[in-house]
Amino acid sequence: MKRIGSFMILMILIAAAIFTLFPIYMGLLNSFKTEGAMMNNILSLPTHLEVGNYIGAFHKTNFVRSLGNTVYIASVGLLGIIICASMAGYKLSRTPGKLSAFIFLLFVMSTLIPFHSIMITLTKISKALSVQGSTTGLGLIYIGTGVAFAIFLYHGFVKSIPRDLDEAAVIDGCGEFRLYVVIIFPLLLPITATIAILNLLWIWNDFLLPLLMLTNYKTYTLLLSTNMLFGQYGNNDWSAILSALILAMLPVVLFYLLLQKYIMKGIADGAIKG
Amino acid sequence: MTTKRKKTVILLAFVFPALLFYAVFVLAPAFGGAWYSLTNWNGLNRTYRMVGLANYIEALTADPFFLKSVGFTLKYVVFMVVLQNAIALLLAVLVESRRRSKVWFRTIFFMPNMISLIIGGFMWLFIFTKVLPYIAEHTVFSFLDKSWIGDPAYSFFAIVIVSLWGGVGYLMVIYIASLQGVPQHLKEAAAMDGANAFKTFRYVTLPMIYPALTIGIFLTLNGSFKAFDAVYSLTGGGPGRSTQVIALNIFEEAFKSSNRYGYANAKAMILFLVVFLITLIQLWLMKRREVES
Repeated sequence: MKRIGSFMILMILIAAAIFTLFPIYMGLLNSFKTEGAMMNNILSLPTHLEVGNYIGAFHKTNFVRSLGNTVYIASVGLLGIIICASMAGYKLSRTPGKLSAFIFLLFVMSTLIPFHSIMITLTKISKALSVQGSTTGLGLIYIGTGVAFAIFLYHGFVKSIPRDLDEAAVIDGCGEFRLYVVIIFPLLLPITATIAILNLLWIWNDFLLPLLMLTNYKTYTLLLSTNMLFGQYGNNDWSAILSALILAMLPVVLFYLLLQKYIMKGIADGAIKG
Repeated sequence: MTTKRKKTVILLAFVFPALLFYAVFVLAPAFGGAWYSLTNWNGLNRTYRMVGLANYIEALTADPFFLKSVGFTLKYVVFMVVLQNAIALLLAVLVESRRRSKVWFRTIFFMPNMISLIIGGFMWLFIFTKVLPYIAEHTVFSFLDKSWIGDPAYSFFAIVIVSLWGGVGYLMVIYIASLQGVPQHLKEAAAMDGANAFKTFRYVTLPMIYPALTIGIFLTLNGSFKAFDAVYSLTGGGPGRSTQVIALNIFEEAFKSSNRYGYANAKAMILFLVVFLITLIQLWLMKRREVES
């Protein structure tokens, strides 16, 4: 009885795994076929590896430049979020009183504001500040939109660091800012890793904000370049498009397979503390 | 300087950088949007005037496409909240019950979450428009021959399927973490008392993971009201605006079709109010039960 149950469970899991991998597998398979070979038999293995699709997609999406833009935007955003949020979260958590409670509430409030509610006016403000159109500008916007959740996580984490440490350092003549840099920030590393992972995933996969902010194709992210390619072909030339889709998912899938333990831990921690 | 004042100055110095970015890119657009939603500004002219709640009234009574998108989104939210949490919890329980293969299954189920739904949606578009018709024609699975993207009745499910494909893994990871926190001895005690697997789950495990359910439902509720990527890449809102979600309706109102900047902002505020109220009610209801159980 127990064995039958276990076998059933295994079958359900295998079916779910096949469903999950099916689109990726089908895309991979057909990205190596010419349009003709694909139409002939969409399910078969390719008879020879047609790499022309990949070469074309690599050039048309400006893969290297798009990847560089994405990495740059994510770096600016991530660095800013970590610096600003760790400072604010630490001090808000350590300072009792009405003012800090009010500021904290102001930040927390934003987790309930959907991005779509602010995006229209955000584009206007970004244009007025000349932030629109530049990759650095987009990174700065990510700091603004991502900082609140990070503060929330830092705020909770700081409570687990004993106050005696601060006091001992101050008695030894350590200034406020040095205390934060030398003593507190290193102790925040575990939660910083979680915050870095959560924000990297979000910024990397975000589509709407780059779509609204980046006006020149030279500044396009990987997602925007891929989307633009799709616009050019409609959905008629699948063999050209599939290779571009596979290329676009390659960096995240590699990143995931290398660091999956930390990614899953980051997500679980973020949800439980959030 | 008194110590109290000094403390305030230091606090503000530490908070300032975060507050600056937050104020410029979140608070200002939020308050600005709320203000413009009460005006008839077209987004370009120097002059505009206050029109009170006229934009809101128009959106909620005289805009068939907006109302349709609200209805479509509500239907989508209900499907997603129920299915995504049920499937994620089921997968979490099943994966946790395997000893050797659990790492494999967890890795596979989470993978789509790493891929943007823009890319994933295009991938699925290929499945729906090319692969499934091929399979229907050349195998016994002829029931797959549906107009998945062209027929509103099926494109709703196409969007749900793709959203589930992309979103279930995230919740599964949260539920797995929560399940691992349930003490083994409690389950063993229940088994000793003669409870079967289902009863053990219902009366021992489920109450223990209730906080995770609160988070899971909050995340799906909050996330599916904002659905955009999957719809954008799969159907673009079509055919004939039949799959237009609220976010897409706002996007098109603001950046594509009209010059009605104030009106677009009113729709954005309606979305905010709906998400805000519903998630608040959900958290309140579930937190209350958490304390009781």
